[in-house]
Amino acid sequence: MPPLPLQSDWAFVIENLDLLLVGTGVTVALTAASILLGFLLGFPAGAVEVYGRGPLKRAVETAGVVLRGTPLLVIIILLFFGLSVSSSAFVTATIALGLRSAAYQSQIFRGALQSVDEGQLEAARAIGMGRFQAIRSVVVPQALRRSVPGFQNEFTIVLKDTSIAIVIGLGELLTVGQNLYQGGQSTAALEIFLTVSLIYFVLTFVTNRSLDRLDDHFSIPGGERA
Amino acid sequence: MSDPLLALDDVYKSYGEEQVLSGVSFEMDAGDVDVVIGPSGSGKSTMLRCVNRLTEIDSGDIYLDGDCVTDADTDVNELRKQVGMVFQDFNLFAHLTALGNVTLGLRKVRGMDKATAQEQGYEHLEQVGLSDQADSYPAELSGGQKQRVGIARALAMDPKLLLFDEPTSALDPELVGEVVDVMRDLAAEGITMLVVSHEMGFARSAASDIIFLDDGRIVEHGPPEQLFQNPQAARTGEFLSRLETAHEEE
Repeated sequence: MPPLPLQSDWAFVIENLDLLLVGTGVTVALTAASILLGFLLGFPAGAVEVYGRGPLKRAVETAGVVLRGTPLLVIIILLFFGLSVSSSAFVTATIALGLRSAAYQSQIFRGALQSVDEGQLEAARAIGMGRFQAIRSVVVPQALRRSVPGFQNEFTIVLKDTSIAIVIGLGELLTVGQNLYQGGQSTAALEIFLTVSLIYFVLTFVTNRSLDRLDDHFSIPGGERA
Repeated sequence: MSDPLLALDDVYKSYGEEQVLSGVSFEMDAGDVDVVIGPSGSGKSTMLRCVNRLTEIDSGDIYLDGDCVTDADTDVNELRKQVGMVFQDFNLFAHLTALGNVTLGLRKVRGMDKATAQEQGYEHLEQVGLSDQADSYPAELSGGQKQRVGIARALAMDPKLLLFDEPTSALDPELVGEVVDVMRDLAAEGITMLVVSHEMGFARSAASDIIFLDDGRIVEHGPPEQLFQNPQAARTGEFLSRLETAHEEE
């Protein structure tokens, strides 16, 4: 009896696991860089939407609306082929994912900042704190705790959306997977995609669990859980 | 003769069409405990909030220890270091322990190091009978305990004047006593207090003066004996008797 074709195809996946792991490394690095950029831009943007006024506030709100209203695919193609912001596909993908994530993270932080009741800010002002100091010492620590669930969601979305970097040829996980069978070396498309999906799942699961831990660690005793 | 500790001179405040304070003037000396009473909407809380400029007045002047604090160039943060405030809804910092609530201002505003701030913080928690709850978070405390932490937080800044904005109104009746007791202790220690409250027991026993505010005007201002036993204005008598009836019904 001839061996089942399935067996040889899984063998192909295992033989090329090292390539898939390199792709996984790129995916993890791209996710981390994009989330970080998104946080560095998105947190201040959320704060400006809550506490800012005038042209700065309007500019931030407009940028957010435009970024949230544009498909990620369009943003990444525009940045790479249209504006050529960088010759590096990794840098371009980080900027595209980071900007889009900033637009979403700004809304997570806006909601979290607004959820801390005004009275606490007033109490901080009443003991002589300046506005910025009061926001930083009293509102922000509570808002960051409350933004964990939303942030968890955003993390998961960015992680999987890194796969869109395939259109500019960045060798992340999905690109590596697709190259493996498109090179004509194998017909194991299903096995490759199942493996790739499993890797995405493991990454998502692990990061979500880590953020749960973080949430537990910083939860306020007796208070509401984030 | 020295300056009064606090003086309001012809203070006006309106929100849009609604006139909230219409020419309020009074003075209090250091060590005085003045209790402000009046129907809801009479401008009591607004008047209190004008003193530390959480609310800005439209016209008039407010003097603290001889300095006009309603000048445009007054540093509001400097003013607020000298005027503590206790809120109806406590407004404790939810992410900090009782001790953390009391020490935040000492560290961030007074610039104290952590150890010194904690040492002083404990003393102030002791003063309100809560040194054993130093490590509890607000959500773990009862309403009365929360308000005592609120008082300790205000005391910690060593203010010249303490403002109380209906400090017992959000409390269950059985928790009012512990807060009033702390306020009585502070009054006995000679801390200058301006208190918006309808706790008549406190007003009778601890107040130097009672200020009856109605419709944004001071209707009557005098020692408790005068207002309770021999009110000069008909409105004062009416209001006090209604207040007493309401208390008896409770």
